[in-house]
Amino acid sequence: MSLLTNMFVSSPHGNLGLTTNQMMRIVAYATLPGLAAQIYFFGWGSLIQAILCISTALIAEAVVLSLREKPIRRTLSDGSAMLTGLLLALSIPPLAPWWIAVIGTVFAIIVVKQLYGGMGFNLFNPAMAGYVVLLISFPVAMTNWLPPTELLQHPMAFGDAFLAVFTGFTYDGYNLTQLKMSVDGITMATPLDHFKTEQILNYTTTEILNSPLYGEYGGTGWLEVNLAFLLGGLALLKLGIIRWHIPVAVIGSLGVCALLGITIAPDQTYPLSFSLLSGATMFAAFFIATDPVSASTTNQGRIVYGCFIGVMIYIIRIWGGYPDGIAFAVLLANMCVPLIDHYTKPVTYGHKRRREAKS
Amino acid sequence: MSNDSNVADPIDDLVDNDQPQASSFDWRSITFQGLWKNNPALVQLLGLCPLLAVTNSVTNALGLGLATLLVLVVSNLTVSLVKNWVTKEIRISVFIMIIASFVTIVQLLMNAYTYELYLSLGIFIPLIVTNCAIIGRAEAFASKNPPKEAALDGLMMGLGFAIVLVFLGAIREVLGQGTLFDGAHLLLGDWAKALKIEVFKVDQAFLLAILPPGAFIGMGFIIAGKNYIDNKIAQRQASSKPKKSVTRARVTHVN
Amino acid sequence: MQSELTLIEQVKLGKIWEFPGGINPPERKSLSNQTEIGNFTTHTLYIPIQQHIGVAGSLLVTKGESVLKGQALTSPGEGLSLPVHAPTSGVISDIIDHVDAHPSGKTVLTIVLEADGKDLWVNKNPLLNWQELDRDTVVKHIQAAGVSGLGGASFPTYVKLSPHKNIDLLILNGVECEPYITADDVLMRYHANEIVQGAQIIQHLVAAKLCVIAIEDNKTEAIASIEKALADVADIELRVVPTKYPSGGEKQLVELITGLQVPSGGIPADIGIVMQNVGTSFAVKRATIDGEALVSRVVTVTGERVKNPQNLWVPLGTPIKTLLQNVGYSPEKTPRLIMGGPMMGFNIVDDMMPVVKSTNCILAPSNFHLPERGVEQNCIRCGQCADACPAELLPQQLQWFAKADEHEKLKEYDLFDCIECGACAYVCPSQIPLVQYYRIAKSDIRQAEEEKLKAEKAKRRFEVRQERLERDKQARLLRHKESAEKRKKALAQDGSAKDKIAAALARAKAKKATSENTDDLAASDTPQDKVAAAIARAKAKKLKSSKVSVDNSADSTPEASLETSLKATDTAPTTNPNKDRVAAAVARAKAKKLAKEEQEKVKNDAELKNETDHKGHADAADKPVSEAQVDKTLTAAEERKAKVAAAVAKAKAKKQKAAADEPNQEPTLDFVDKASAKISNEDKKRSADDERKAKVAAAVAKAKAKAKKQATESENSTNTSDKETPDLNVADDLSQTPEQIRKDKVAAAIAKAKAKKNANNDTDNGSNNS
Repeated sequence: MSLLTNMFVSSPHGNLGLTTNQMMRIVAYATLPGLAAQIYFFGWGSLIQAILCISTALIAEAVVLSLREKPIRRTLSDGSAMLTGLLLALSIPPLAPWWIAVIGTVFAIIVVKQLYGGMGFNLFNPAMAGYVVLLISFPVAMTNWLPPTELLQHPMAFGDAFLAVFTGFTYDGYNLTQLKMSVDGITMATPLDHFKTEQILNYTTTEILNSPLYGEYGGTGWLEVNLAFLLGGLALLKLGIIRWHIPVAVIGSLGVCALLGITIAPDQTYPLSFSLLSGATMFAAFFIATDPVSASTTNQGRIVYGCFIGVMIYIIRIWGGYPDGIAFAVLLANMCVPLIDHYTKPVTYGHKRRREAKS
Repeated sequence: MSNDSNVADPIDDLVDNDQPQASSFDWRSITFQGLWKNNPALVQLLGLCPLLAVTNSVTNALGLGLATLLVLVVSNLTVSLVKNWVTKEIRISVFIMIIASFVTIVQLLMNAYTYELYLSLGIFIPLIVTNCAIIGRAEAFASKNPPKEAALDGLMMGLGFAIVLVFLGAIREVLGQGTLFDGAHLLLGDWAKALKIEVFKVDQAFLLAILPPGAFIGMGFIIAGKNYIDNKIAQRQASSKPKKSVTRARVTHVN
Repeated sequence: MQSELTLIEQVKLGKIWEFPGGINPPERKSLSNQTEIGNFTTHTLYIPIQQHIGVAGSLLVTKGESVLKGQALTSPGEGLSLPVHAPTSGVISDIIDHVDAHPSGKTVLTIVLEADGKDLWVNKNPLLNWQELDRDTVVKHIQAAGVSGLGGASFPTYVKLSPHKNIDLLILNGVECEPYITADDVLMRYHANEIVQGAQIIQHLVAAKLCVIAIEDNKTEAIASIEKALADVADIELRVVPTKYPSGGEKQLVELITGLQVPSGGIPADIGIVMQNVGTSFAVKRATIDGEALVSRVVTVTGERVKNPQNLWVPLGTPIKTLLQNVGYSPEKTPRLIMGGPMMGFNIVDDMMPVVKSTNCILAPSNFHLPERGVEQNCIRCGQCADACPAELLPQQLQWFAKADEHEKLKEYDLFDCIECGACAYVCPSQIPLVQYYRIAKSDIRQAEEEKLKAEKAKRRFEVRQERLERDKQARLLRHKESAEKRKKALAQDGSAKDKIAAALARAKAKKATSENTDDLAASDTPQDKVAAAIARAKAKKLKSSKVSVDNSADSTPEASLETSLKATDTAPTTNPNKDRVAAAVARAKAKKLAKEEQEKVKNDAELKNETDHKGHADAADKPVSEAQVDKTLTAAEERKAKVAAAVAKAKAKKQKAAADEPNQEPTLDFVDKASAKISNEDKKRSADDERKAKVAAAVAKAKAKAKKQATESENSTNTSDKETPDLNVADDLSQTPEQIRKDKVAAAIAKAKAKKNANNDTDNGSNNS
């Protein structure tokens, strides 16, 4: 009688083969079109931020894992810290000073993710929580978005961007405020920001849209970035990494709200394409809101969750104090997730009332 | 028969209290409890409302801490003095009246002598009445102990609370403004202007520290730090104590 | 919206419904379904006596016996049970505990059969006219043939064939959704007619109006074969279902064919459906029409590590090792064998495990094609598992709750509706062994419920016992009361008794008067004498108090009468107070010492006496009174001595008790009184038993002491004698040694002290409030 194996392994004995590590990496790859678009239209800053954030995230996670006495290498290789860093990097202004990236990433990884228990246990989306911390702590630095390169008065190369991030000045000695000026001499922020400030000054939509900051369908440069993220998101859908419920719910509800707004007050609200293709809408719909750990887990719940996010984005954009409300909307929705999960539990087999067989 | 129940007199009536019922004046224990082991802010988690709201600078924190300390001492003392005449049913109302009276006195004093600070602290001075730490100590300790102990307990608890307030205030002020003791002259007089320390200069302060979320996060880290220290102490004590080997006698299933 | 079609009409429409979830793992069936079914024989067979769900049968054969193929080796036991049969002819070489076909590798009683190569069948008795026969007969015949569910569950088929509910539909499960397995596939290809025949038998037995054979659409030859076999058959239809795992699960197939769901916790028969595997149908046919017991089955031996993967007719009891040796199995570095399919099979831990009725596949995969699970990571709540679950559960939540041992939540999320198909764990990106957690959680919950049940039963037993004891106690007290009443009445009515009492009293008075000046017990200084004096004293008191007790209420105890008599003697004049005091001190010390040694003995005696005199406890209580009545030999001095000694003995008793608390304290008499009163008060709660014991002990001791006293006094030639009234127990006492006599006296003193203490119980009750 020979003992063949000392592993009392339970069935099933096979696995689909798509591991968490692979999923994280595929999501990271899917952001690359968006990242490329952002670099093309807004300069090298985004790349520098990405490298900075990812390395900070890995270091911070390694530190906490060693304190928690968990296997560092294995946990780091699951790619979740890397992805958090990347997502945060894509959210902050390309030329934000280096300590912005560091503080935000450290907070996101250590406080929001690891202090709650590590991957799979965090209640809030780490990248978004880090972004919110940065936004309320350093409102000035976080709204220093540059206009698209074609509108820049002082075009920048990679070295310029690097220096700007780490020292605050470009090679030629321009600081950020000067860089922000466009060819017309207007200090610009993002289209959404600009739209909001102009609205407060009581300009109508048509007047605002005349600015060169806006292209045919959305903000210059931002339109292409959003389309690139949409492309990446669709790829994720096709690969089955994410499911359609959340992106469709977010975009759908945002679109419905925008349509309602246009119907009720066309001169004071964003046009539809602008709503959907500006700011970080597509990025949020496909990459932020679909973070599986902090989102709802039932499919029905996901739709509710996505709708909630879409509605909140619209409300904050129109009536809130911030130009883009994605981060707050996502965090608010994260808080609602346990409740949503509780009420969208599917009915198990055998518990339905006896359905009459339909022909 | 000799197997009857014991002849010992009935056990003394138990006095159920969570504090050391010191027949002798156990000042050491009261001090330790108030400052560390049962610290109102870090362990009992009482009085968090003012704690999180006014600790955005050391001056504010110190001002409120001192006010709370004062009120705690005198209210504990008073409650302990009148405890024999207050019936159980109305005791809470009586205690609150006592506390409110003293808070009013403190508020008027601050209004007179530290006006800017009074304005800066705003509604949190009258809110000392509702500070759970004060009514909690009155109920749990002062109403069951002699005046000397009650006063000392009030002093130590107040001191513990004030220390935490100042500590958190310092952290938040340093992180958020880069200074320490900014505005101390409002509380301590003009000479205190010299106390202001500028730890580092930033043009963009870490606003989070000044905002309420920073208070919560800072509080959390302080409590974590205290727990860490407690654990370390406990570990050291456990390792230093010699392990007693206990031989147990088997009384079941002896074959 | 009420549909007007019945179930059968619905099904006949041919629609195939859907179930949610499911996965499509690589099928890998082409490895083994290219050839016909081979035949396999081997020399040594290990036949476990239990290969089914339920109770094992009892052995019919012994070691060394020769058996024929198909001969029953066990007979069915009580309840759910099936026999096992010899797969071939040969000799039973042993009956041992051998490894069972079970994931744990536990052992089971196994019959080891050495084949003789002749493969001779036992006399078969087929039921060719099964249609005319009584259904029960046919079902019993199928049970006797040992047919169980060959789809993997191994549920005794005869139970399913005699449902107690109305059955509309019979479904034959030829779906075989698991990868690698092709046993049913090839059976359908090459034995379609027999399967259909079996289906007809089963349909007849359960009286189903329609039979449906379900096959997955990846088995084209099997479909063709079954279609041909069904060409002229009525009431049996073929349904082809899409390939998806786990379509072959009972609940899922019911939903596929009918659109209905089996209610949770129920069986398909609840909604009028019976399901059988096609292999079972085949076995039913062989059992009924051919009269052959279940002795072999089709087993798929497959996997990438096997050179010749194929299907084989394998005799039950073939060890896996033998089977693998013949198909070119070459193990990997870490050998990995699975009994069953990759989704629901279990790891084989010992390759001497035999093939049993539920074995449909032996799988030897390569790590490349069926990689082992990776390291478990945290759940990322991706929800792939919930998408894959055919029962619409939330596996990720179940996993959280299982890890946290939250049984209530697990039940709320319907853990027990999980069919353990493994689809969730198959898709999990974090490589979490979900099914393992559910299995553990299920067994934990079952165990907790069993323990709860046991605890409730124990509690109920305890409560009933308490009630019974309470009832007994009440009955006893009632009897006490009644007998006391009777006693009183008897005394009241019986005039002669009253006269006796009066005469005894007179005698005692006379004795006292005459012996007052003589008999200086203090000088003799023997403890025995002193104790005897004490005892005599007590008797006198008893005598006096007996009159009192008769007049008193019926509740008066001998102790009370003792007390009153003591009080009476307190007022009597003492002759030698000084001597008395000295004597008292000496007696105190001595009594203390003796009493300590003797107390246990007295107690034991008292208990013995108590048990033997259980019925006569009332009478025993009477004894002191009656004896006191007849005692005439007490002097005043003796009475005093007795009183002192009694107090001393009481002190001893008190000291015994206080030994633990105050070992160094010498109790004073006052203290003794107070303490004893206190003790008495505390003893108030004691049961009547102790009081009775005390009474009995006092009685016994008294009697003994009386006899001793008689003996000693006769030696000392005192003038008193009480020979007129012989004691009942004199004979016994006179035969004792002086040592024993002394012991008895001390014991009597102790008992008396105890009695006095209890007497104090009543009188000191008001004054002492300890």
